[in-house]
Order: sequence, then structure tokens, then C-alpha cells
Amino acid sequence: MSLVEITFLILSVIAIGSALMTVLSKNPIHSAIYLLICFSSIAGHYLLLNAQFLFIVHIIVYSGAIMVLFLTTLMLLNLNEETEQHKPAMARLGALVAAIILGLVLVAAVSKTATLMPMNNNTVDIGSIKALGKVLMDEYFYPFEFISILLLSAMVGVVLLTKKEKTTVA
Amino acid sequence: MKTLTYTSLLGIFCMLAEILNLRKFIIPIALVALCVIGGLTYCDLNVHFEPFFSDMLRVDNFSTSFSLLLIVIAILLIALSYDFYTAQKDKISDYISIIIFTLCGALALVSFSNMTMFFIGLEVMSISFYILAGTNKREVRSNEAAMKYFLMGSFASGILLMGITLIYGASGSFNLATIAVYASGQNPDITFYIGIILVLVALLFKVSAVPFHFWAPDVYEGSPMLITALMATLGKVASFAAFYKLFAVCFVDAGSHFKLVIAIVVALTILVGNLSAIRQDSFKRMLAFSGVTNAGFMLFAILLPNENGGSALFFYAVAYALSSIAAFAIAIAVSKFSGSEKFDAFKGLAHKHPFSAILLTFAMISIAGIPPFAGFFAKYFILSSAIKGGYFWLAVFAIINSVVAFYYYFKVIIMMFSKPENEDSFSPNFVYITVASIAVLITIIAGFAPGVFFIH
Amino acid sequence: MVNLYVLILAPLVGFLINGLMGKSLPKSVSGIISSFAVFVSFVISSIYFFGFVGGTQAPIDANVFDWITAGETKISFGLLLDQLSGLWLMIITGIGFLIHVYSIGYMHDDENFSRFFAYLNLFIFFMLLLVLGNNFLVMFIGWEGVGLCSYLLIGFWFKNQPYNDAAKKAFIMNRIGDLGFLIGMFLILFYFKTLNYGQLKEALASTQTSHGLLIAITMCLFVGAMGKSAQLPLYTWLPDAMAGPTPVSALIHAATMVTAGIFLIARANFLFSMAPETLSFIAGVGAVTALFAATIGVLQNDIKKVLAYSTVSQLGLMFLAMGVGAYTSGVFHVTTHAFFKACLFLGSGSVIHAMGGEQDIRNMGGLKKWMSITFITFLLSSIAIAGVPPFSGFFSKDEILAHVFEANKVLWVIGSLASFLTAFYMFRLVILTFFGSFRGTHEQEHHLHESPATITIPLVILAVLAVLGGLMGLPEFISHTHWLNSFLAPIFPHAEGHEHMAISTEFALMGLATALAVIGIGIAYSLYVSKQQLPAKEGELKGFAALVYDKYRVDELYNAVFVKPISALSSTLYTIVDKALIDGQLVEGTAGLSMQLGKRIRSLQSGNIGFYLLVMVVAISLILTYVFI
Repeated sequence: MSLVEITFLILSVIAIGSALMTVLSKNPIHSAIYLLICFSSIAGHYLLLNAQFLFIVHIIVYSGAIMVLFLTTLMLLNLNEETEQHKPAMARLGALVAAIILGLVLVAAVSKTATLMPMNNNTVDIGSIKALGKVLMDEYFYPFEFISILLLSAMVGVVLLTKKEKTTVA
Repeated sequence: MKTLTYTSLLGIFCMLAEILNLRKFIIPIALVALCVIGGLTYCDLNVHFEPFFSDMLRVDNFSTSFSLLLIVIAILLIALSYDFYTAQKDKISDYISIIIFTLCGALALVSFSNMTMFFIGLEVMSISFYILAGTNKREVRSNEAAMKYFLMGSFASGILLMGITLIYGASGSFNLATIAVYASGQNPDITFYIGIILVLVALLFKVSAVPFHFWAPDVYEGSPMLITALMATLGKVASFAAFYKLFAVCFVDAGSHFKLVIAIVVALTILVGNLSAIRQDSFKRMLAFSGVTNAGFMLFAILLPNENGGSALFFYAVAYALSSIAAFAIAIAVSKFSGSEKFDAFKGLAHKHPFSAILLTFAMISIAGIPPFAGFFAKYFILSSAIKGGYFWLAVFAIINSVVAFYYYFKVIIMMFSKPENEDSFSPNFVYITVASIAVLITIIAGFAPGVFFIH
Repeated sequence: MVNLYVLILAPLVGFLINGLMGKSLPKSVSGIISSFAVFVSFVISSIYFFGFVGGTQAPIDANVFDWITAGETKISFGLLLDQLSGLWLMIITGIGFLIHVYSIGYMHDDENFSRFFAYLNLFIFFMLLLVLGNNFLVMFIGWEGVGLCSYLLIGFWFKNQPYNDAAKKAFIMNRIGDLGFLIGMFLILFYFKTLNYGQLKEALASTQTSHGLLIAITMCLFVGAMGKSAQLPLYTWLPDAMAGPTPVSALIHAATMVTAGIFLIARANFLFSMAPETLSFIAGVGAVTALFAATIGVLQNDIKKVLAYSTVSQLGLMFLAMGVGAYTSGVFHVTTHAFFKACLFLGSGSVIHAMGGEQDIRNMGGLKKWMSITFITFLLSSIAIAGVPPFSGFFSKDEILAHVFEANKVLWVIGSLASFLTAFYMFRLVILTFFGSFRGTHEQEHHLHESPATITIPLVILAVLAVLGGLMGLPEFISHTHWLNSFLAPIFPHAEGHEHMAISTEFALMGLATALAVIGIGIAYSLYVSKQQLPAKEGELKGFAALVYDKYRVDELYNAVFVKPISALSSTLYTIVDKALIDGQLVEGTAGLSMQLGKRIRSLQSGNIGFYLLVMVVAISLILTYVFI
């Protein structure tokens, strides 16, 4: 077992474990923290794959910005264990069944899977910022520009939804 | 390609128009510009284009026809917003630019040839919808609609993204042509199939097919009526075009596994949509469920890819979208007047304003599928290809259901032609009447000359 | 061709004028406009018709424009005017015109006068389209159109909820029939690639078609005819349809629309002739309907209901004729029936008008004193429908029964029994209404009067036609040629087997029919005039009579078997999915307008959205399971 494989295993265990804890923990704040751990370990995976850009972006965006947003919201709303509602038994049962079936299917599917696409050797520099930038500005230029429309739409939307409503007295 | 680019620029212009103090002229400018863009798009018909931008977009007659339809829909709905947003003049620039951004997303969905464009297009459209659904800020239902749509839509997007990833993992490409070659090759990998299924599920969600339809009635009902019309027409048509491009063209060789799944979804969609629509007393909600039923009919085109499948789908989209717009236009006028979206609001419309009653009657008859309107031929093309494709039972089932559907479509007609409860005079803004007339006129033309609307 | 366009479009123009600006027109003008529109059609129809009679007019079969040109199927919007549609044109526009004139008088107090005429004109337009189409699709458009108009007119007095229900019922029953028509049409289009009558005929002649397919197609089409022409088991809407204004009952539910089913079979007779099994089925259904409806008619007390059941019964007789291949006789009976039944309905309208809306014959009586014209015309038409020679109904009915006698003795017995009952209940109606002493209130008695000329003139014209209509189909041993037979010969090439029958048999049958009719009348006379009996009050009838009085409780049966389960299913879906899951949450949400946003979001998440997502996940799992395991 090489060092990379050992790191991979450790990171995987952390990722799956913290993901489970995110779902299972009763306290929303704890959930958020577990989610943070999960994100970080996934970022570690990216690094293992030599995808530096993704690694950095993932840390900044998910572990940084989004988690802060989550935590702020949770604290603002002042949620805690007591306010959690119990889901109906039927829903729980359904979710359980669905999860089991889904798991079975995934196991079955993966066990049938032949070799995937041959992985590119790490010698080729695919994940670095430089390589990515080249691809984005060349092959994927149009989608790259098109995303700006998505961002614009979202921005205008935020403005629209938060604009002060003129109070009209009926 | 130029269609999408120019439309994006138009959207940005509308957004900036507020700064330039052009608020009053936004709608006229947008309408004229869209007409010009439509004209330019029309010139692309029957012209052969090489793929654009390393095969990100492909312009062919399929995409051009659908683009034209989407632009017409957008023009009609933006024209409606002229009166719809009179009370919120200061936000008009935001509204119009988001609606045009929605159109951009839709245009990308009909002309993509790369999974990245597909996903971004879908997201541009969906995110704009999430926002628009919640624009009626003081209305709790509108907030709720936006929230629900957003949550469920993100869930579907996640599934879609997972699917695209698996397809990429198996085939090694985002490019549709490469994926199609892989799909028709020897033994595609099983992850490829899982990917297809996930994409299928996400698309079924977007077109509101049973059992992924739950969001649609709530969201349609909660959103402002104009936005409901936008989602029910523009959104649905674009999603179906993308659906067709992927499942009837790209994955067609790998798709034989899912025939039965789609067939069952078709049957369920038609049945559940119908049965739910029967009991509604809100016109808007009825239209939402009718949209579900019609989605079932359009799914036939996905189920049966053949050389005429694209034409059949396009024709159905034209018939459904324009009839719906006509219905929505009148319904907006009526609900604006009476403050209610229930069937009762239509009571006696034929006495108060016969012309709009006739327009709505035509629209309903067309959706119901009675000749000589486009709706009949749309159903006919779809069902006859279903029978040819060996789905006789499904076709009969669909016919039975469409007869049942007459009941709720005619409920409005009955209401309109019964006696008014009060003597209020009702005079809708000319915009509504004009838009509804144009839409009805197109359905009539399509009913009398369906050949014009075929994709060659 | 231009004339033909004018013929079709005149009522449409009338409809548009009345529909769009009816409110601003004075009543007299709006009535005159729409009557005039129909009159124009009538004049042109007459020109064509007498052209056919004189042999100077050749049939017109023209495609106006192509509907669908793409693909292998080609459907045109085309018109076909031949002897058959010519005859129907005369009925529609002729009787239609009379009824328009009648309505001017009958509806003069109604506030929605112009709307009524708009609907009537629209109905005439669709009916013309129905008979003039040269393919099934055009017929179907007309078919749906008349259905819609009938629906609108039944519910014309919508203030009354039962009337609305009646309209809805008619609509739904017709939808079931239309479903059959639609499937038949799809089958034809699918297998023969055409809907045009002429091309279909050629295709049938040139290619070998499987017998099963022909049976399937004809059965589907017949289901359509059943719905529209109110045959068992889809007849219950017609009696309820009497909720509409009386001129509507006369025009739509007696003379024209309900005969569309007969027209369909007559038009597609070449198709039906190739499927003898279907024809036998049609004959059976027709005969049973004729008898069944006649028995119900015996115990009804509403003047219009009696006529309605009589219409169902007579339609049954017509289908019986079609079923034994006696197409001409069926069409003949359609024509004479249109005369006398329209007259009867209009007469009943006149009576109802005079009685101030009263329709129960137990509260009438002795009306002949006040309303002599109505009485005489009503009496003449009743004699005609009862089948007493030489009135029109005798000849057409006798001809049908003679054909049936040849084909099947059992059906003949049923048919004769039905026509015997017809004679009885019609005279029961006449006697209870017009003879004896008045049984209504004083106020009503004071009000009694003969109706105005716009009402009586159409009555007189129709009565004359009811008396003389038989002349167009005099049996051959009287007039050498059966005129209608030779007129319709191009349509029904070899349908007649009647000639071979021995004259003695024919005379015997005629005698028997006449005797039955006279006996029926006699029984009615002895019961209601000599013995002065009155129909029992509600609830006095017992056993079988009570069952018949309740129309065999068929409505209740349908309600229990079809309506309730469907509406239960629908409301289950409604309550479970819509109410409990959606509204339950929504209402809760709406009530909490002032609640904190956080609470709301949480309640949304843990509420229905969770459920929605759960359903999605389960569905995904199922799909994956299906595909991979």
C-alpha cells in the first residue's frame, strides 16, 4: 500500500463518517460542523487527484463561504434539538426502504462495472490552474461566458427580491 | 448561435436600461428586438451550419424551429407584462431582464450539443424561474412556491449533475456526438446506464411527469399568473426539446432498456394529471394539472423516436404552448378584474365581454383536442405514431383520458356562457385581447395547415 | 359551389351577429336576422334539392382545402352534397326555419333572447357541416359542434341547478359515444389511410379487409351513434335534455341532432353492409330500445317527457330499420318523424306556454276549448305517429315493419308491440291534455289562450307535412314507384328486398299494424275518456308499474355503477394528495402569515416537500431496480 492509497482510505472513512453524522446528528449546529469536515476531506480527495484548482475552490467556497452562511443562518434562527419535528413513521419507513433499494442497486451496479475509462496518468497536468484556465478560455469559452448570464440572473434576482416595496395604502 | 448571443445581450441591455432611465421604453424595445432576433433566427432555417465554438452549440432545423417558438412565446408574454406590472413600474427592468434571461436558458436547451451547455442552460432557466416564482413577495403562496421550487429543483439539478458525471465517466466526453457513438457501440458501461437514468429522472422532474410532478401544481398556483404561464409554456417546451435531443437522438440506442419505464410514466402522468384536474375549482390549478397531462402526451415523442418524432413534438409544443398562452392571457385579465382565479370568476364572461369568452373557448377547445384546432392534430400525430410504434394500448388509454379531459376544459366554457352574477362591466386591457387573439390565430392556422409547422 | 358556401355560412354569420352584438340589437331584429339566415340556407337547399329531384343537379363532391398534406395521410376539408345530404338539408333548414319563427313568439319574454338565437344558428351551422362533410373528420367537427350547442341549449335556463345537471349528463353521455366514434375514425384512418367516404369505399372494394376489423370499426362508429341518437344504454340523457326550452327539444332533440346517428349509418352504409354482425347488433339494440322506451312512455306524466321517450322509441325503430338493411325505410321514417315529432313538441310548447310553465298532464285537460289550432295540429300529428293510414307515420313505420318481418320475426313482434304502445301513450297524452275538464288552478284557467301567430303558423305547416309526408314513400302497389327509393337509389345501391314480398303478406301486415294502432287508441279512449281515469299520484304505483314509472331506475343504476366509483376515486385522490398533503400544509402555512420565516421554512421542509422528495427517491429506486436487477 502506497502512501497515496493510505491517505485515500483515511480520507474516505472521514468523508463517509462525517456525512453520516451530518444526517444523523440531532443538533443542527453539529450537523453543520460535520458537513464542514466532510467538505474538507473531499477537498483532500481532489488534492490526491492532482486537481489543485478544485481543491482551493472547494475550500474557499464550500468550507468557507457556504458553511459560514449556513452557520450564520442557523444561529440567527436559533434552532436547537427541541424544535426538530418528528417525521411520520410512514415517511421514515419509506425513506428506509428507498435507501436500502438504492444501496442495493448501487452495489449491484458497481459490482457489474467493468473497468472505467483509463485514468490519465498524473504526469499530464490536468488539474492545475494553468491547464484549467487554458481549457476554459479555449474549448469551453462559450459555456464559460454563458455562466455570466446565470450569475447576472441570480444577481438581478437578489436585487428584485430585496428591493423595498412601495407601501401602497389601500 | 447568434440567436442566443443576441438574446443574452438584449437581456443585459434591459438590465442596464434602468440606469439609463429608459424604464418606459423597455418593453417596446424588448419586443422589437425580440422580433428582430426572431427574424434573424428564421433566416437560419434550411441553412447548414458547422458546429459553433468547439461543438458547444449546433444550429439545425430542429433547434431553429424550437428557438422561433420560444421567441414567439417570450414576445407574447412580455407583451402581457406591459399591463401585468403596471403597479410595479420601478421593477420593470428587473422583471423583463430576468424573463429574457429565462429565454436565454431555454434557447441554450434547444441548441446545445455539449453537456455543459445543457446543464448551464437548464440552470439559467431554472434559477430565473425560482426567482420569478417568488416575486409576489406579499403573497405567502408565492414565497412558498419559490421555496419549494428552489428546493426540489436543486435536488433535481443534483441528480442531473450526478448523471452527467457518470455519463462522462463512462464515455469520456461531454460532447453529444461522441456520447452517441459510445451509446451505440459495444456494451456501454453500466455506469453509463445509471447516468442516463439519473438524467432521465431529472428531466422527468423538469417536465413535471408523474411521479416527479408534485412541485408543479403548488408552484404554478403560488406564482404570479404571468410567471405560471412562462413556466408552463416556455419552460416546458424547452425542457422537452432538450429531452428529445438527449433521449430520442443521443441515447437512442441505449434507451431501449427504458421503454417500459417511460411508457408507464406516460400512462401515470396522463392519468394522474387528468384525475386531479377534474376536481379543481381553481382555473390556474386546473391548467397546472392539464399541463401535467399534456406533458404525458409529449412524452410519447420521447418514447417513440422516429423520423417524424421531432415534428410531432414540435407541433404539439406549438399547439399546447399557444393555446395555454391564450388561456392564460384571458385568465390574467379576468383574475385581475375579479381578484379570483377560481372558475367562478369566469361566470358570465360571455355576456360581459363576448370576444374574450370566444377566445378562451377556442383555447380550451384546442387544448382539449377538438378539430379543427391545432390541438387535435397535435394529439393525432402523437397518437398515430404511438400506434405505429406498437403502443396501441397506451394510445387507447390516452384517447380515453383525453375524452375525460373534455370535462374540465368545458367547465370553464360552461361558466363563461352561464348567467353573470353581477352586472359589472368588464373591459380588459387591449394587450390581453391582442395576445390571446394572436395565439388563437396561430393555433387555428396550425390546425388548418399543419404542414407549415413541420420540421424538414 | 358559391351557393353551397352561402348555404353553410349563412347561419354562422347569423350566429356571429347575434353572438357579438346581440345585446345591442332590439329583440325583433335579432330574431329576424337569425331566422333570415336559416331561410337563406333553406332557399338554397330547396334549389339543390329540387335539382336532385328533377335530375338536373349532379352530386357535388369537392375538397375545399387540404388540411394535412404532410406525411402519408392526407385529410382535406371537403363537402359532399348528394341526395342523402340534400334530403337532410331540407329537414334541417326547413324545420329549422319554422322553429326559428316559432321561437320568436315562444321566447319573446326571455332576457337572453339574442343568445338563444345565436346558439340556434350555431347549431344549424354545425348540423349542416355534419351532413355536408365528405369525410368523417368534417362530420366529427359537426358532431362535436352540435353536441356543444345542445349542451349549451339544454342548460340555457341555468338558474335551475337540475337543468345544469341535465346538460352535464347529456354532455358526458355524448362523450362516451364520441369516444367510440373517435376510435372508429382512428381505426379507419390507420388502416385505410383516408377518411373520405368515396376513397374509403374504393379502398374497401379494392383490398381484402379482415372481417374482424370491419366489425370493430362499425361497432365503434355505432357506439358513437348510440350516444348521439340516445339508444340503450346511452339514452338517459335525452329525457333529461327536455330541461331546455321547448323549441330546442323540437329542433335538436327530436328532428335533427338525434338523427345524426342514423345519418352516420346511412352515410357509411357501404361499410356497415360489409359487417352483418354489427347490423344484427344494431337491429337488436334498436328493437329493444324501441320497446323499452315505449313502456316507460306509458306511465310518464310530464308532457315533454312522454314525447322524449317517444323520440327514443322512434329512434330505436329507425335503428331497427338500419339494422335489417332497410336504409331507405329508416331515412323515410327520419323524415316523417321530423315532421310529426317537431309538430308535437311545438304543440306541447304552445300548451306549456298557455299553462304558464306547467308540464304535468295531470293538471291539464279540456284544453281543446281554448286552443283549437294547437289541439288540431297536435291531434293530427298524434294520429300520424300512432300509425293510422293514410297519415305519414303509417307508411314509414309500416315499411320498416315489413322489412323487419322479412328479416326476423322476433324483432318484428318487438317492433309491433312498441308501435302499439306508441299509439296508446300518444293518445293517453292527447286525451289527458285536451279532453275532459280542466284540472289546473283557477288562475291558470283564467290565463288560458291560443298562442300567437308566430307559434301557430309553424304548427299548421308542420301538421300538414305530418299528414301528407307519407306521399314521398307510397308503397309500390299504390303508386308504381316508391319515390324515395328511386331518389335515394344512388346512395343505397342494392338495399331493397322489399319488392319480392307477396302483396297479400304486405296487406296483411298493413292491416295488422293499423289494427294495433286503432286498438291502442281505443284502449286509451276507454281508459281515459269513458272511464275517466286519471294517472296515479306519486307513490301510488306498486310493483312493476312503479319500476316503469321510475324509468326502470336506470339512472340510479348508472349512478351506482359508474358515477360513484369514479367520483370516489377522484375525491380520494383529491382528499389524500391534494387536500391532506397540499392544502393541509398550505392552509397551515397561510394561517401563519405572521410566523417567523424560519419556522415556515422548517415546516415546509419537514412537511410536504419531504414527502415529494421521498416519492422521487422511491421512484428513482424503482426505475433503477427495474433496469438493473
